[in-house]
Amino acid sequence: MVVKLEKPVKPLPPKQSRYGPDPDHIKTRTCDLENIVSVRVREFFRDIPESIYPSERGIKAVREATVNALTNVDMSMIKPENSVNILGSHHGFLLAGGEPYAEMLKAIRDIIADKTGSENLRLKVGVGLRFRESDEYIRRFGLDEYFGKGKAKGVAPIDEGIPIETEIGTLYGIKRCYDADWIVHAHNSDVREIHFHRHVDKAVKPFGMSYARIETRSTYHQNLGPRSANFVARAIFNSELVQNKWTFATFLKPTPAGITGVDADNDLFALDERLTKENFRHYGKILSLLSQIDECIVVLDFQAPIPYVFSAGMIFANFSAASVDIFDLDYPLPGYTWYTEAFYGTDDRPLIPDTPPINPAIKAMVINYAWGGYPSVFWAKMIPTIVVGEHQADVFDKDPQNIEFMNHAVVAKDLQTAIEFTTRIADTDKILIFDGATEAINVSKPLAEELVEKVTEVDKEVEQKLIPKWCRQRGIKIEKQI
Amino acid sequence: MYAEVNPEICTGCKICEKVCPILSVKVFGEKKEKRAVVDLSTCVGCGACVERCDFEGAIILKTLEKSKIIGVDPKSVDEKEITELCLEAKIHPEQIVCFCTGTRANEVAAATLLGATSPEEISRKTGVRTGCKVECIEPILRLLKAAGIEPTPVEKGWQWYGITPTIWDIPEEVIQKYSARGFYFEEDKALLKKLLENVK
Repeated sequence: MVVKLEKPVKPLPPKQSRYGPDPDHIKTRTCDLENIVSVRVREFFRDIPESIYPSERGIKAVREATVNALTNVDMSMIKPENSVNILGSHHGFLLAGGEPYAEMLKAIRDIIADKTGSENLRLKVGVGLRFRESDEYIRRFGLDEYFGKGKAKGVAPIDEGIPIETEIGTLYGIKRCYDADWIVHAHNSDVREIHFHRHVDKAVKPFGMSYARIETRSTYHQNLGPRSANFVARAIFNSELVQNKWTFATFLKPTPAGITGVDADNDLFALDERLTKENFRHYGKILSLLSQIDECIVVLDFQAPIPYVFSAGMIFANFSAASVDIFDLDYPLPGYTWYTEAFYGTDDRPLIPDTPPINPAIKAMVINYAWGGYPSVFWAKMIPTIVVGEHQADVFDKDPQNIEFMNHAVVAKDLQTAIEFTTRIADTDKILIFDGATEAINVSKPLAEELVEKVTEVDKEVEQKLIPKWCRQRGIKIEKQI
Repeated sequence: MYAEVNPEICTGCKICEKVCPILSVKVFGEKKEKRAVVDLSTCVGCGACVERCDFEGAIILKTLEKSKIIGVDPKSVDEKEITELCLEAKIHPEQIVCFCTGTRANEVAAATLLGATSPEEISRKTGVRTGCKVECIEPILRLLKAAGIEPTPVEKGWQWYGITPTIWDIPEEVIQKYSARGFYFEEDKALLKKLLENVK
């Protein structure tokens, strides 16, 4: 297979956030170092659809896709006098710079207003563990002005709760998510935390997470199991409270090669099945390809916490978990998930035999740019970690979620020194960069050449063996050509 | 870190009081004079108040001159009692329950056996719930329940609302209904059983 190696694709510039270092401190980006090349993801996997964003049509392509997706969606339950909460998640704003998700949210608002006559349309955007993150995006993309004063708000899992009776017992949602007559689920299909949800009911997950209180999230991560966790989302979605307010879902559709469209449906499970099949093909292939890497240094260089920086559409947490096939439900524990981390004993060794390790291909981790706001000490304990600059170390030192992180990491003065040091101690020239470069993957040339060599075989294996297996495990019908 | 209130900006709205996981922030005063006050003897600078305050600058985090370490030594309590309590809660004693502070179940159990009767007291003694403030509430409630303690949520507070189901509580008909949809309840139960069987 002939694959073009190109000049590195520039990542987005660093963003100001209360969770990260001052962007002025980020002097050098990893893609600017010598011997770094870029491969367009569609060069690897040519069946991935062309992106609508970025594209020459600009952001209007996302609005058009949203309008088209919502054409046949039933909104007749919403009356002009009704209130509607459009529920979103912070994570959509990390995709392709965030503008596509913001535009989809604006378009949903306008379409509901046009179709139903309702003017009481609010935006409630959930978060992970950084409770102001959504408010930062709401301001950055002008959603507060667009929706009207006080109508666009971030919501957090420690905000006032509401009990939700489900078929497994009482769980808890965030009250402000459910304080309207109707709700709209406005999310995205990025696979993101496969290590947690295992791509079981992925589209339903925000009901157990972004829109949920701490009790529900703790149930997800501590009370169930590594493959049962996301059932809390289904249980809440199926509850009387949610079903009485349910209207429809609208999802932005990213692939590892950019934003490819928008999908919408009144039937969330039908939508989930469509998106799952697409994700198995596109994300399944890229993660399977990255899993072929036998040794590398990872460099984190993006405006997100450690697990959420991404490369070719895959977040670092997934790559670190990929010592086993994390789509395959025959493996109970991925190399990283909170269940896995929890099951390491006082001596930092697994409490259960056969626990897969953090991806052993990762020989060292350099953090050039990342946020705090996610408990990340497990990676620093398991992977030799070099943090670039005192400013970045300070982010972790002042983060209540990472109070011991820097006990397990060292600080390098600059990126070049960090790379020279890690390539020497790890004895490898293969560098995988998690810098969120849109549509492409930035890597060192030797790693690019290795990936090119392996891609044909991976494509065949995922298509012929793994997709049928992954579908079968989830009760998804396998057509000859999905 | 510790929280510091700017009384010029604080309006006494009480959100900080409702979200503080260790009850270190209280609002005092009448009507327009209401202001939040931080108890520095217990505040650990988790930032819940800062992150939810609606008034920019009304409460901020500052760096302590000298860091303080909190925790309960599990060795200060009979190991057998800790193990029994953890197993009753179906949690491995060495299992991490708070990923931010690295607190393990045996430490929470020890705090309980030493007299803590609520998540707030356990947090003050061990530091759990003061990192992300999200993920560790349920194992704490499970361990308290295993000790025969059913704490009451803080009145008008949003700290926590109640204990939730575990995989051991999932009704059989739910397991049957959804196991073909990728929810591997029985297999995950087997995994967790294996974990508990490995308790020394």
